[in-house]
Amino acid sequence: MEFSIYDFSTLTNSIHEGLSNSFSPTWVMIIEMSLVGLAFLGLFAVLGVTLVYAERKVSAVIQQRMGPMRVGKWGLLQTIADVIKLVLKEPLMNRQADKLLFGIAPFIIIIASFLAVAAVPFAKGLHALDFDIGILYVSAVSSIGVIGILLAGWSSNNKYSLIGAMRSGAQIVSYELSVGLSLLTIVVLSGSLQFSEIIESQANGWWIFKGHIPAFIAFVVFLIAGTAETNRGPFDLAEAESELTAGFHTEYSGIKFAFFFLAEFANMFIICAIGATVFLGGWMPLHIGDLAGFNAIMDFIPPIVWFGMKVTFLIFLMMWFRWTFPRLRIDQLLKLEWKYLLPINLVNILLMAFIGLMGWHF
Amino acid sequence: MSWSDFFLMQQELALILLALVLLVVEISLDTENKHKIIPVANFLFIPILVIGFLNTSTGSLFGDMYITDPTRILMKNILNVGVFLVFLQVSNWLKTQANNRNRISEFYLLIISSLIGVNYLISAGNFLMFYLSLELTSIPIAALAAYEQYKHKSAEAGIKMILSSAFSSGILLFGLSLLYAGTGTLNYGAMAIASVDLIQSMGFIFFFSGLAFKISIVPFHLWTADVYEGAPVAVTSYLSVISKGVAVFVLAIVLITLFGEIQGLWQEVIYVTAILTMTIGNLFAIRQKNIKRFLAFSSIAQAGFILLGLVGGSNFGTTAVLYFVLIYIFSNLAAFGVVSVIQNASDKENIYDYNGLYKTNPRLSLVMMLALFSLAGIPPVAGFFGKFFLFAAAAEAGMYVLLLIAVLNAIISLYYYLLVVKAMFINSNDQPVPKIESDFFARAGLILCTAGIIITGFISWIYEYMLNNSFGI
Amino acid sequence: METYIFYILAGAILIFALLSVTTRRVLRAAVYLLFALGSTAGIYFMVEFLFLAAVQLLVYVGGVVVLIIFSILLTSQINDRLEQPEWLKVMATMLLVVVGAGLSLFVIREYDFNISETAMTAPTVSDIGLKLLSYGPGGYVLPFEVISILLLAAMIGAIVIAKRMKEND
Repeated sequence: MEFSIYDFSTLTNSIHEGLSNSFSPTWVMIIEMSLVGLAFLGLFAVLGVTLVYAERKVSAVIQQRMGPMRVGKWGLLQTIADVIKLVLKEPLMNRQADKLLFGIAPFIIIIASFLAVAAVPFAKGLHALDFDIGILYVSAVSSIGVIGILLAGWSSNNKYSLIGAMRSGAQIVSYELSVGLSLLTIVVLSGSLQFSEIIESQANGWWIFKGHIPAFIAFVVFLIAGTAETNRGPFDLAEAESELTAGFHTEYSGIKFAFFFLAEFANMFIICAIGATVFLGGWMPLHIGDLAGFNAIMDFIPPIVWFGMKVTFLIFLMMWFRWTFPRLRIDQLLKLEWKYLLPINLVNILLMAFIGLMGWHF
Repeated sequence: MSWSDFFLMQQELALILLALVLLVVEISLDTENKHKIIPVANFLFIPILVIGFLNTSTGSLFGDMYITDPTRILMKNILNVGVFLVFLQVSNWLKTQANNRNRISEFYLLIISSLIGVNYLISAGNFLMFYLSLELTSIPIAALAAYEQYKHKSAEAGIKMILSSAFSSGILLFGLSLLYAGTGTLNYGAMAIASVDLIQSMGFIFFFSGLAFKISIVPFHLWTADVYEGAPVAVTSYLSVISKGVAVFVLAIVLITLFGEIQGLWQEVIYVTAILTMTIGNLFAIRQKNIKRFLAFSSIAQAGFILLGLVGGSNFGTTAVLYFVLIYIFSNLAAFGVVSVIQNASDKENIYDYNGLYKTNPRLSLVMMLALFSLAGIPPVAGFFGKFFLFAAAAEAGMYVLLLIAVLNAIISLYYYLLVVKAMFINSNDQPVPKIESDFFARAGLILCTAGIIITGFISWIYEYMLNNSFGI
Repeated sequence: METYIFYILAGAILIFALLSVTTRRVLRAAVYLLFALGSTAGIYFMVEFLFLAAVQLLVYVGGVVVLIIFSILLTSQINDRLEQPEWLKVMATMLLVVVGAGLSLFVIREYDFNISETAMTAPTVSDIGLKLLSYGPGGYVLPFEVISILLLAAMIGAIVIAKRMKEND
């Protein structure tokens, strides 16, 4: 089995051929689907554990604390202990709740995350779905998640949950527009919605550098709207603990609560991965013009590491937001979207179309 | 495609421009002065009427999505004139109702959007355009039906209208999808429906049912009376003339240009529905106490008469339909104009409230009488000529039984139209509607309608122009 | 394999559609509708009409159903139940549904469709985009623009209905 850290397609192809030699096409398909599914399950587990730990440590640094230190060296095993605690807890059920909807709400949210993460290109050749409609697909499936939140809030039969769900619904529906439009600004330049093509188009420079000021504006808008769409602070009104206990997931406990928690972090990862892919070149190394020596050194770093570094950077940014900005009020939140971000975005997209038309981008 | 080709879409473009201008004017008016949009809209609408007569060339645009020819332009002109009359009627009501004060421009914008839909519907050359513009005609009107949403009945009218129009659109779309399945295209030109095979006949039946909802042909009329009663008078008059008129026009266009080859099928359908519509519309009209419900059923009956012109599918028949719709617009709008003036002044809308109207408001009573005579088809007003040509069209098609039923129905309708006239002129009333001073626009609207009722029947070149430009199988 | 997936999805659509009209809890009806629409998107994905599938998800699942759920959240209580319809109405409806479905099925099965010889390829996004803005034969720019007027009118209509009247009047 060949393997190269620079191009995963050799690995995936050899797996495919190996399977094809011993099974019928139908079974190959089923086995490959299960393999990909397992890989994503593993990824989600790792993501959940590491991101929760990272969040605690980042917040600790910002607030000049130590963060978790007791379990394991530097508290490294803390989140694992938390996971065990969550899994062992009793799943409580409100007697007046709509049990069916209460039960399926967390699954809808987590399914939406799984569907979305499937389109993320991790490295060259490491890509579960490379649709022609890439970006559209991601925004389509990520819009399913809000239904889970709404259902969770309503079926809990709890006023805090309901208010949290309404807020979250209004927020996600509004900010979806900005996320989509800011991504479209780059699509104007790349000329394709397909992630692999968007990445290829950044071989000689990332769009955030090549696309002048509009690309940068789009990037900032994307970061703000992306933070809001994942319900993270300073936009975490849906679970504003000081007013709503825990918002839409107040009534959830045990593994179902863990799903909400996991989905939140997975969504953060997805947003950052999409942002890194569209604006920061995905797994493309940093290239500067004709500096052959520099470019060669950059090429030496494997694509998956580049991707990881960019995503980590964006995730760090989002955590930084959360622990520095105060929470917005709901009217401020909606005003920000409809009165500022959306018009800015629309003008920006026009500007970008003009730049694209004139060929002013690099 | 060059720039000058756009002038083929003169009316639609002018209307869109008007809508945009009104939006800008609306923004620039402060809250206290919102009513100033009324004269702006009314006067800016006059150029639209003029534009319609400027260019009457034939052509198609956007790869046959849009078709225009003198007949279609004529149809649009007829309906645009109707909307102008509605605008004149509505001015006073909009200005005086306190609850409407901050929503005046929206009223105009919605009517104009709907009118844009009407124009595109007539010019559609593709069922996609057809469907979209059909929705564009009905959705704004559903919002307007609920314009007085603080009144229970108006809100109910809005929801009934939107539900029934959604339902009828669903039926229509199912029919269209069957037609598409049969022909593989949505384009009028390419859609040669030549033979009566099952799938296309079923598609046609569903298509016709969907459109029948809009014309309120029996048995798809059940929403009509409630919506007409609940909606504001101006919206009711729009619904009863413009929405109905455009649906009749496109039915004529589609039947003759698209389904011409399967005339045998649709002739039977129209034959039966015409009889049902006339009879049921008339019988229910007799029982009504509320003037708006009364006019609703009368307009259902009129739709039945209109179908007489379509049943033969001849050039002569479609001319009769065009001509009748023009007259119907004048007559019905005159009737609704009077109802609107009286309701606005005294909030009365029952037929017995009209008792003794002649004593206090002789001129309004005369206009109402002329309108009702015209609707009933009494010579010498124009309605007589309209009905006469419709009956002649049925006779030309050789459908004497249908003709006989139609004549019987015309006689029944005479009875209940005259009931209202009797109420106004003969019945006595202790508390008649007080004397009403209507405003400039309402008066202008009523004068125009009356002129239309009296003159249209006698100016023969109108009819001849229609006959020359009309179409048949 | 594809046939199985198709039947699974089609069965899901049918079952969820039925459930959504028979359930007495209004939010559950919306959720079943969501599943029915989602399964439809699944069929589009299966035949590789990706754009259509994504639009189905984006518009119906992410848009329409979210709005429906939102309005239910604003208007109804968790313990609300729709009343059970009379059995006569149920029977009449069922009869009508069976007759209608039977008729449609019969008509569609009887018709011998012209099966296209050329292999079907799903259009790419750029094909769709170019068609959508093309003004030549087969272009869709006019409907595209008419839709924008329709949406504008619908927005104004929503404002008319939602706008508050002056309080002191």
